[in-house]
Amino acid sequence: MIHILGIRHHGPGSARHVANFLSKVKPDIVLVEGPPEADELLQWVNHTDMQPPVALLLHQSDEPQKAVFYPFAEFSPEWQAMRYAREHNIHVRFMDLPVAHSFALDNEPATTAQEAEVEAVHGAAPTTAINELPNLDIPFKRNPMQHLASAAGFEDEEAWWEHMVEYRLDNTEVFEAIQEGVHALREDLPLPEVKRELLREAHMRKVIRQAEKEMFQNIAVICGAWHAPALSNMPKQKEDNDLLKGLPKVKIECTWIPWTYGRLSYDSGYGAGIPSPGWYEHNWKYPTDDGTRWMAKVASLFREKGMDTSVAHVMEAVRLADALAALRGLSRPGLEELNEATLSVLCNGDDIMMQLLHKELIVQDIIGQVPIDIPKPPLQLDIEKTQKRLRLPASADWKDYTFDLRKDTDLERSIFLHRLLLLGINWAHPTGVNSKGTFKESWRLQWDPNMTIEIIEKGSWGNTVESATSKYVVHLANTSATLPVICQLLEKALPAALHESVDVLMQQLNNLAAASGDVMQLMETIPTLVSISRYGNVRKTDAAMVSSLLQGMMTRICISLPQACTALNEEAANAMIDLFFGMNDAANTLQQADILAAWQATLQQVAHNLNSSPVIAGYATRLLSDYKILADETLVQHFHFAMSTATAPAVAAAWLEGFLRGSGTILLLDEALWSVVNNWVATLDEDTFLQVLPLLRRSFAHYTQPERRKLGEKAKSGPSTGKTVRMPSEETIDEARAMRGIPVVMQLLGLPLNTPGHAE
Amino acid sequence: MSTVLRQHAEDLFAQELEELRKQDSDKRPPNWKLSPQSVVTYLVGGKLKNGFEVTPKYIGNRRLMEIAVATLTTDRALLLYGLPGTAKSWVSEHLAAGIAGDSAMIVQGTAGTSEEAIRYGWNYARLLAEGPSEKALVETPVMRAMKEGKIVRIEELTRIGADVQDTLITMLSEKTLPIPELNIEVQAVKGFNVIATANNRDKGVNELSSALKRRFNTVILPVPNSMEEEIDIVKRRVESFEKVMELPVEKPALQEIRRIVTMFRELRSGATLDGKTKIKVPTGTLSTAEAISVVNNGLAMAAYFGDGQLNAADLAAGIVGAVVKDPIQDKVVWQEYLETVVKPREDWKDIYRACKDLAI
Repeated sequence: MIHILGIRHHGPGSARHVANFLSKVKPDIVLVEGPPEADELLQWVNHTDMQPPVALLLHQSDEPQKAVFYPFAEFSPEWQAMRYAREHNIHVRFMDLPVAHSFALDNEPATTAQEAEVEAVHGAAPTTAINELPNLDIPFKRNPMQHLASAAGFEDEEAWWEHMVEYRLDNTEVFEAIQEGVHALREDLPLPEVKRELLREAHMRKVIRQAEKEMFQNIAVICGAWHAPALSNMPKQKEDNDLLKGLPKVKIECTWIPWTYGRLSYDSGYGAGIPSPGWYEHNWKYPTDDGTRWMAKVASLFREKGMDTSVAHVMEAVRLADALAALRGLSRPGLEELNEATLSVLCNGDDIMMQLLHKELIVQDIIGQVPIDIPKPPLQLDIEKTQKRLRLPASADWKDYTFDLRKDTDLERSIFLHRLLLLGINWAHPTGVNSKGTFKESWRLQWDPNMTIEIIEKGSWGNTVESATSKYVVHLANTSATLPVICQLLEKALPAALHESVDVLMQQLNNLAAASGDVMQLMETIPTLVSISRYGNVRKTDAAMVSSLLQGMMTRICISLPQACTALNEEAANAMIDLFFGMNDAANTLQQADILAAWQATLQQVAHNLNSSPVIAGYATRLLSDYKILADETLVQHFHFAMSTATAPAVAAAWLEGFLRGSGTILLLDEALWSVVNNWVATLDEDTFLQVLPLLRRSFAHYTQPERRKLGEKAKSGPSTGKTVRMPSEETIDEARAMRGIPVVMQLLGLPLNTPGHAE
Repeated sequence: MSTVLRQHAEDLFAQELEELRKQDSDKRPPNWKLSPQSVVTYLVGGKLKNGFEVTPKYIGNRRLMEIAVATLTTDRALLLYGLPGTAKSWVSEHLAAGIAGDSAMIVQGTAGTSEEAIRYGWNYARLLAEGPSEKALVETPVMRAMKEGKIVRIEELTRIGADVQDTLITMLSEKTLPIPELNIEVQAVKGFNVIATANNRDKGVNELSSALKRRFNTVILPVPNSMEEEIDIVKRRVESFEKVMELPVEKPALQEIRRIVTMFRELRSGATLDGKTKIKVPTGTLSTAEAISVVNNGLAMAAYFGDGQLNAADLAAGIVGAVVKDPIQDKVVWQEYLETVVKPREDWKDIYRACKDLAI
């Protein structure tokens, strides 16, 4: 006896009917629509740690990115069938076309877009393949079930199916009815025959025949409703065998992974998706609920969010939902009626809270769990163990963490997350830290089942997170031969505490630095290295190592920099100045006398070298003046020299520009700098002044308008000596008038009036 | 033909209501003239079993009407909420006509609406002459509706002062109206219910107290979704007015209606329909109802002062009047719109010239 149970994937009512049916007919084997490769994994279904939603992940062994998922929720009929079989110790098998074939067929170029069109919910394979996602743009083909729905007077086939099957409590002959309905559809509708579908059904029949051959008496077959008629009317065995003969094959591996409700919903682009996993779960748990329990849930959610919701509200909402159902001729309110009642009664027509409801209750994004001892790729196992040990659970909704790196656990967590980032598993994202200080890190974590694929792919690098990351980084270091890339890797690898690969990176960096003729490239890496060496300590990484490397690099730069500053065009010179800025910062930050000295010597060379690009020479002079190495007379001398009439005007202008670079405000406030420029201008005789005036104008043109105005005012206010600002006020004090104010001031300050001095 | 200027819905659509009643096979709540299903059909239109065509009164989402009708079956009061001109009063009138066969029980809410207008008043001559008695009572529409089991409509609920609004609470929850002076009460007969309308655009409205809010189910009536829907509404309503007003003019050209609806939609949304040009938004709401009245106005102009053909010149005055509500701000908005959007449109030359001629 073969019982064909046509269901909808993830239909709570279908699941209920299947469970009831199985316990009534007591089959001796259950065949489920699913990938035969995963037969081995069925033993885990009733493991105590197995909590749906979970999915079967099948991927091509040599190409993990080519993967497919078979998700199951608690309320999936397939899941109920598998559980029944495991609990009653009877055989259970998957019967769909092996993924090994379908992947191999996908690889053949003949695949057409037609394949994607067969996404009718009831007929679609209950799988979601990541490479299927872009197909969402294809307009959804009219679902054949629509014909049955409109015959029954429903606008929407989803609503029809839900009310006819999913909400139905009584399951007498429900499967016969479904089969008959679909049979009629398949007979009468001129639907295109898709080869893949034919293959799938042929294989299903093959598995059924096999079971019959093995002398099973009572066979229960769980399949999508669409396939039901094709499985009950068996064609000749030979036809199927011919069809299935010689199919190409690839090697497949599979495992159980946790799944989320979010990924079970349509929004995620899952072909056989359902709009409301949370609602279905509710319906599965409380099949007889007339909406009261659901409304109570809604009310408690609203209350949690600070919206006043009384019991009377709930009552009225349930009544309205019932009235709506009655008006629409439904036996009980569905989700739509309940939502409309919620909107009208609880939300006063305002749909903002409805969005919250959708997220929290209707989709209710939760993540499943699979037993830790399921055979899975070692890397994944290691990640899961570490997650458990560090108490960083994978959750479907995002969660924020702030780590204090001075604590051991937090440091370990941070290292773990940094490693995953390096591996390209984007579970965690660093978010900005508000407080200053280097011992805090904040992260946002959100798990996505798709990451499993990434994990499997990266599994080839090693069996633990540490070894995989380490090897992966070394691999990257060896394949990318530019300094900035290595430097970035180094920056990421240090917080990930990958000592081995850091060594390799350092070596690589050192080699590249030695070989590199490009000073600018070297200079670019300096700021990063400086920040590593300075802040690395908190993380207990070996900052000394970086320091020594840095020293070497700085020395190298200092040596070749004067050469590099010659014969540059304006653009390159400006880029160089930016690097100077970074270098200067680095030299100051490091606070190492020898480095600083070397840097200053280099600056001297650059400043004195007549061949240096004038902007850079000017800037170097300026830096030297900041270090007080060039001061007073020498500085003025330099100034005059650079600005002398023999110098070509453009060169002089560039020098001045470099010297005064970005210092409009500094010029205003720094008396020393001001007096240098001012004194120089003052010493010029009229002819020379007229000559350099255009140059000055050009340099000052870079400043903002208010800066220029203030500079003008400052120049106007008279001969500049350090004291000019305060001098006038001292001279104009009228002592007699000032005396009169003193008592008041004394009073304000709370001092006794009759202090010795100018008392009357 | 009746001589009244505007007939009640139940009179204007008497035939439809009668046909619906005859064909009605579903269960009717007590004192309802039609079953809830038929009320929905009456509102959104449809074909009856005998082939009789019911015209749609509300053009839009059927589900909203279902919620409204279902609310009234649960004897909860219904609050229709929305922008001015989104057919709130229209829907409430037809709901009352469909359910109770009487849309005349109406209280117009204003800032001056007193408790006497909602509960009951006294005939003071009688009161002085005979003392308090039931004869000296002046019944309000609310009281009558309670006695007769009908629907009472309260227009512009939020305009009524908060203290007066709250007199509704007892009526809505206890379904009774106590008259302490006579030591009696009026208990609502089955079928009694309240449909209130309120708009959420006007300033200076009195928010409903949460106690009162709790007794209403709210249905928000949206502005029409699509251009076609809006044109459909304007066309139907204008045609029905023509009947009422007996205007001797050809049917309004769809072309003209389309232009007006386009203008109103563009000004309302602050962007041209193709989404390319940003437009300033005038202070008025520019609802569908206003579009309807502009077309009506134009038809009247055409009939009495024009050549009987609706053309741009007949409409111009109405459009300008509808858009320019604030003589200073809106004038700028309108002129900008006219010059930047209307002028470049090749087939809008006539309307541009007509509006320009008005020179506001």
